[in-house]
Amino acid sequence: MSFQWSEGVSLARMRTALAWLGLLVFSPFAPAWANDSVFDTLQVHGFLSQALVITDDNNFFGKSSENAGSLEYTEVGLNASLRPHANILVAAQLLSRRAGGDTRDAIPTLDYGVVDYQVVSNQQRTLGLQLGRFKNPFGLYNQTRDMAFTRPSILLPQSIYFDRTRSLGMAGDGASLYHEERTQAGVVRFQAGVGKARVEDDVDLALGLNRFPGTLQAGSSAIGQVRFEDNNGRFLMALSTASANADYEGSQPPLDNGSFQFQPWVFSLQYNHERWSLTSEYALRTVELDGFNPAIDQKKTGESWYLQYTRRVDSDWQWLLRFDRLINDRNDRSGSTYEQSGLGPAHSQFADDITVGVQWTPRPNLMVAGEYHHVDGTGWLPLDSDANASAKSRHWNMLLFQLSVRF
Amino acid sequence: MSLFCLIPAAIRSGALAALVLAWLVWPTNTYSSEQQTAILLVAHPAVTTSWLNRDTTRAIFAMRQRTWPDGESVQVFVLPNRDPVHARFTKEQLAAYPHQLQLAWDRMVFSGMGQAPNRVSNQLDMREKVANTPGALGYLEREYIDESVHVISME
Repeated sequence: MSFQWSEGVSLARMRTALAWLGLLVFSPFAPAWANDSVFDTLQVHGFLSQALVITDDNNFFGKSSENAGSLEYTEVGLNASLRPHANILVAAQLLSRRAGGDTRDAIPTLDYGVVDYQVVSNQQRTLGLQLGRFKNPFGLYNQTRDMAFTRPSILLPQSIYFDRTRSLGMAGDGASLYHEERTQAGVVRFQAGVGKARVEDDVDLALGLNRFPGTLQAGSSAIGQVRFEDNNGRFLMALSTASANADYEGSQPPLDNGSFQFQPWVFSLQYNHERWSLTSEYALRTVELDGFNPAIDQKKTGESWYLQYTRRVDSDWQWLLRFDRLINDRNDRSGSTYEQSGLGPAHSQFADDITVGVQWTPRPNLMVAGEYHHVDGTGWLPLDSDANASAKSRHWNMLLFQLSVRF
Repeated sequence: MSLFCLIPAAIRSGALAALVLAWLVWPTNTYSSEQQTAILLVAHPAVTTSWLNRDTTRAIFAMRQRTWPDGESVQVFVLPNRDPVHARFTKEQLAAYPHQLQLAWDRMVFSGMGQAPNRVSNQLDMREKVANTPGALGYLEREYIDESVHVISME
């Protein structure tokens, strides 16, 4: 009687139509598709989330502080995958996401598109290679951060999973290697990737470079994660690091063609029980601007951490309590030096967020969530190109509701 | 202004205290399973593998490993998340809870790292699908097992 989400589109007609779509996308593999069994491995999955964001002060994802709030937080994803050979997986996902900002932001983009080859696969280990646009394994949530069903709350802890320089952390275009080794104590998983970082307009804006005529060109990026899970599946530990680079081109005085480097580290811990989980992540983020001009060049290290308790009441209900802290510059925790330098208000340099949330999943393919944030600071408030930082309120509250479906 | 600073501090310490309290005080039930029949791993009769260790079984059911140790493609079959046999299987054999396994599948499917398992509605359906799909791996209570499927022993 219950709806089987993984069989949601096993309708023959849909399958045929999508197979043709897949054939266009993955045409290099077409010769291997001579037999029907390859088509039998085709899977199509998707999701849709719509949120309502209400704030008392400050705008988050649209004009949330006006009237009845903002509906400008929408996520839609559609993916297809198939296995043309026993150890090869081909997968791609289109993502449309609007989080405030222009409606053009909702134009679907390629979220990932990979050919995955498992070179070694036995009782002791799995070793594989991904080529294409792969999702960065960063912290516990980054790889599927836009899919509501994989998040413990509507908004991930913003100190680490903030939106400002989102494009940098999302995915890389290149190659990624993964290795799972099974040991006496537990499973060790390792993943490393190199490629070209994705640098979009959000990075320009976050760095305050959008007012100049030049553009940031994506440079190389590298990412690595080591993860350990104990034999009982209770304890999980991960260390992730990344390095993303970009070069500035087309500058005009007073700016020179500088470079930008972003290097974050995240340490993650999670303890899982049948009824509850305790999760914490700690991150250090180094941002360096070099070669622009003495007024803009800088190197600073930000610090983020959160502690989160989630509790499953029954198979349908789950609630969450979280404290999340962001500091933009470890050498100026209160932001006072920043304010004295005339760069903007001190509260734009930090944010403490206390979150209480609840998720209701009456069916495997439907989720309704609600949460309340009490925030001190505007450190991760999304930037608008026309925003005036001093006009923002230091203390603000936010209420979110979200409806999500998937198949 | 000072009043504004005090309120969040109070809420903050209160929230942290509540968090600690919730952790300490709330009961965490573990359900003791009564005397129930064993759940065994079953495979398509042509599968050559005769045993799997627990970590490999977990990797295959979590959809992180796509082939049998001999290189043959594996087709994973599972019962619905809320089926009590599925819950027992994940807890007893995989040392995971059904919601964790579901989350693991979602993370594979929506990151391009893997596919979702095949769903069957009940154990009779499981037996039929496993018996007729080359490379199939599933699980059944002992009383549902017959000669149409191949039993895989777990280390």
